Amino acid sequence: MLTMAEAVREAMSIAFDERPEVFLLGEDVGIYGGAFGVSGDMYHRYGAERVLDTPIAELGIVGAAVGAALSGMRPIVEIQFSDFTAQAMDQIANQAAKIHFMLGGALHVPMVLRTPQGSGTGAAAQHSQNLEPWFASVPGLKVVVPSNPADAKGLLLSAIDDPNPVIFLEHKLLYKIPGRDPVPEGATRIPLGVSKVVREGKDLTIVATGIMVNKSWEVAEKLAAEGISITLIDPRTISPLDMGPVFESVEKTGRLMVVQEGPAQAGFINEVIAQMAGSSSFGSLIAPIKRLAGMNIPIPYAPQLEKAAVPQIDDIEAAAREIVKNWR
Amino acid sequence: MSFKYPVVMPKMSMTMETGELINFHVAVGDHVKSGDVLFEVMTDKIDMEVEAPADGVIEALVANPGDVVEIGKPVLIMLTETEVMAFDFGTDGEPVAAVEVVTAPAPVVAAAPVVVAPIILNETVKAVPKARVEAANRGIDLRTVRATGPDRTITMEDVNGAQLDPAIAKRQAANKALIAKGIEITRSIAQASFTRSVNANFDHATFIAAWAKVLRNRPDLAAHEHVGVALIIESKYGSALPVFRDPDQVKIADLTALVASTTDAAKNGKVPVAMLSGATTTVFDLTTYSMSSATPLLFPNQVTSVTIGYESATTKIVSLTIDLNFCDFYDGALLLDALVASL
Amino acid sequence: MGHPLSSPEHARHALLYMWRIRKFEEAVEDLFGRGMMHGTMHLSIGQEASPTGMCMAMTLQDQITSTHRGHGHCIAKGADLTRMIAELLGKKIGYCGGRGGSMHIADVETGNLGANGVVGGGIPIAAGAALASKMMKRGTVAVSFFGDGAMNEGAFHEAANMAAIWKLPMILFCENNKYGMSSSTEKAFAIDNLADRGKGYGIPGVNVDGNDVVAVYEVAQAAVDRAKAGDGPTLIIAETYRWKGHSRSDKNLYRTKEEIEEWRTKDPIPKFIARVVEEGILTQEQCDVIQNEAIEAIKAAVNEAVKAESAEPSGLLDAVFKAVSA
Repeated sequence: MLTMAEAVREAMSIAFDERPEVFLLGEDVGIYGGAFGVSGDMYHRYGAERVLDTPIAELGIVGAAVGAALSGMRPIVEIQFSDFTAQAMDQIANQAAKIHFMLGGALHVPMVLRTPQGSGTGAAAQHSQNLEPWFASVPGLKVVVPSNPADAKGLLLSAIDDPNPVIFLEHKLLYKIPGRDPVPEGATRIPLGVSKVVREGKDLTIVATGIMVNKSWEVAEKLAAEGISITLIDPRTISPLDMGPVFESVEKTGRLMVVQEGPAQAGFINEVIAQMAGSSSFGSLIAPIKRLAGMNIPIPYAPQLEKAAVPQIDDIEAAAREIVKNWR
Repeated sequence: MSFKYPVVMPKMSMTMETGELINFHVAVGDHVKSGDVLFEVMTDKIDMEVEAPADGVIEALVANPGDVVEIGKPVLIMLTETEVMAFDFGTDGEPVAAVEVVTAPAPVVAAAPVVVAPIILNETVKAVPKARVEAANRGIDLRTVRATGPDRTITMEDVNGAQLDPAIAKRQAANKALIAKGIEITRSIAQASFTRSVNANFDHATFIAAWAKVLRNRPDLAAHEHVGVALIIESKYGSALPVFRDPDQVKIADLTALVASTTDAAKNGKVPVAMLSGATTTVFDLTTYSMSSATPLLFPNQVTSVTIGYESATTKIVSLTIDLNFCDFYDGALLLDALVASL
Repeated sequence: MGHPLSSPEHARHALLYMWRIRKFEEAVEDLFGRGMMHGTMHLSIGQEASPTGMCMAMTLQDQITSTHRGHGHCIAKGADLTRMIAELLGKKIGYCGGRGGSMHIADVETGNLGANGVVGGGIPIAAGAALASKMMKRGTVAVSFFGDGAMNEGAFHEAANMAAIWKLPMILFCENNKYGMSSSTEKAFAIDNLADRGKGYGIPGVNVDGNDVVAVYEVAQAAVDRAKAGDGPTLIIAETYRWKGHSRSDKNLYRTKEEIEEWRTKDPIPKFIARVVEEGILTQEQCDVIQNEAIEAIKAAVNEAVKAESAEPSGLLDAVFKAVSA
């Protein structure tokens, strides 16, 4: 079964074959095959004309991608660590996100920015962040967080098709492992802006993003054997966010738990809570909304500290048990 | 306990042997109060209205208007909680029970439903959203629902369990009678005490008003409709127990003046007779002895008592004792919380 | 287009467009002063020769990115005056539908990829446009207009370097206005000759008098030729002169004789008029006619724009993203 890196590579290759205007640029994406091996042999298959190795110049790289996108190309920009998008923020947030709106629709930016995020590799504070809220808070950007290889392939194909700038956040720990489901053959797209109900239950609704979807799935499996059934929802696209399935599910279970990797303060998952709190489904809640998120600290280096900084399977399990037991 | 009491044709003169029933002033199911006119009777000499000897409910009309009834024979039967002093001397001169004791639990009479004051368990309510929706739909006052969720939050289970209203009403009525009969209950009183420190300054008037306000929400913990706070005042004549009725409903300035004048009177061995009855709770102020606590005392016919103890110049200790036959352990904690919060 | 002195038509084009820019900016200054325009305006009165000369070396398909002080670039590239004024007045027919304002005007049909409110923001974008042109083999060039201040932004450095290593068909056009700001460039640069920066990237750095439309054109055309030949980018440093429009309401403004004399020597328009009349390419009367033509064009644009419908808030949410086609 394909790993996430392989699934992403497959999607890019399909897009390359479908459209000549699609190309990839970034640091070490060409000859080296990508810092995390995602672009792999694409340089050899498509050549230096379509797989561009760039100098270390994130602002310039993303700006060039914006300019190319304005001129009829469909660039895929790879930024080596999502932490480095900070260097390129003007082009991401002030230019790409706003051009279509500011210019009254005269121009648009069909650009995909792919970047690995998240902690667990011991890369420490500046190479381990989860920056979902940075992008999700900017109108004009679409933000996608795949949790498994099958979704990654279909979502990336849709992102490349999309005439707007899409930020595609891949998790480092997921690159080298296959998912639960095999990656489908062919070029089937998964539409952006559609949440997925990964499993259905009646006792608790869990909404999680990225790697937390997989941890929550493990918890759901374990608790199912004890008679606690959990609905697990993966938004997949965090902006624009599809809340429909969440409302529907909470009206059945009455209990909502949200799980994200990034720090709790002003994190993305608060958007789910905010929408729930103001919705007509609020009256279905029989328990307070439970939030599990990263500690409000930069990611530490030592492995035991690194683990403690973000929710783990045990944390999710304990929280799920507690909410179901104490709130009836 | 309830009693079936037959109201008989009374002997109104020495030679009277029968009387004629003219008419009834009541019907079956009517609630009557002691002194209400039940029926009119006539003899060759006088007309007379026969009054109810106690509060109760008309159970049955035994005679018909126009009937001539022998004296001592029943005209109507009423149900009453009060043991009426009634004697009947049989033909052999031995007293027999004139009144039939009904030992079954007091039935709720057919007519109008019993209207009871709600027992308020929580002044401030925390409830999960669905519980609020449910309570609103079913007309349940969330203040009367016992909260068992974390942080004293009312859960769905709590609201669904709140279907006990009729049972609560029943228990409340039963409690009142039993508390009134407290003097006859000889089994040992199961009681519990709760203590809290309070960093506050308060005088007697403020304290008894605050305590009365808390008890206002718990009409089930008293034999009377009013809240009567007895305040122990020591003097060289002994302990006096003047009772302040409904002190939470009196202007605080007036109450303060009343407490002051009553205290003075008590210290001089004089307390108005009117203030010597009707207590539903008692307050002991131990601070005058610099004591922090004392053996809890529950007076007969009372379910609660409170002591005010001394801990330091800035801290007092408030202790509540409850009779566990009538008040739940958990409720006791809530009562003390409410009292301390309002000080 | 071609060399401004190569024919009367070319001279006319150069003069007309410089006048159009001048009169447009004066009109905007007036309207803004009356409170009819929201926000703030950055005017380029006195700098007309640089964009005019550069754009005469370009075709309609060639692309430009511009700055917050971008009206001149936009007009020189051929924008519609009515739609420009309408945008500044927040009207529906404005270039951005009232959503962008002065700093974000773009005109796809004339190759204008947009003015930019972020200093240096447009430079990497122009590099990207040049990259696309090279990858698609279109044969067009992309010109990035920016001020001397942008040369110290990281974006300039990264874009210039990428354009140089990939030999992108790009021109880095710096409008270095020194009037009243000579001290600032002295403080912001450790070098005296900004064009020397080109050496750092291995590209030519060329100085030109930005107030001489003929000189600007010649340097611009050379850079365009170099780019289209595949030899890569050029850094042009055009020294210009920004004249803050005389405020009629400011009765205390004291203009020295020196100031007036200096302005006369630097104003690009009379400079060009003198030259074309002297060389017999146009007569003074023809030049006057051209000036009136520009005035009438601006007046017509203002009248039309003022009467146009104001932009409305409905539809704002739908304007963020381009719709995904099924």
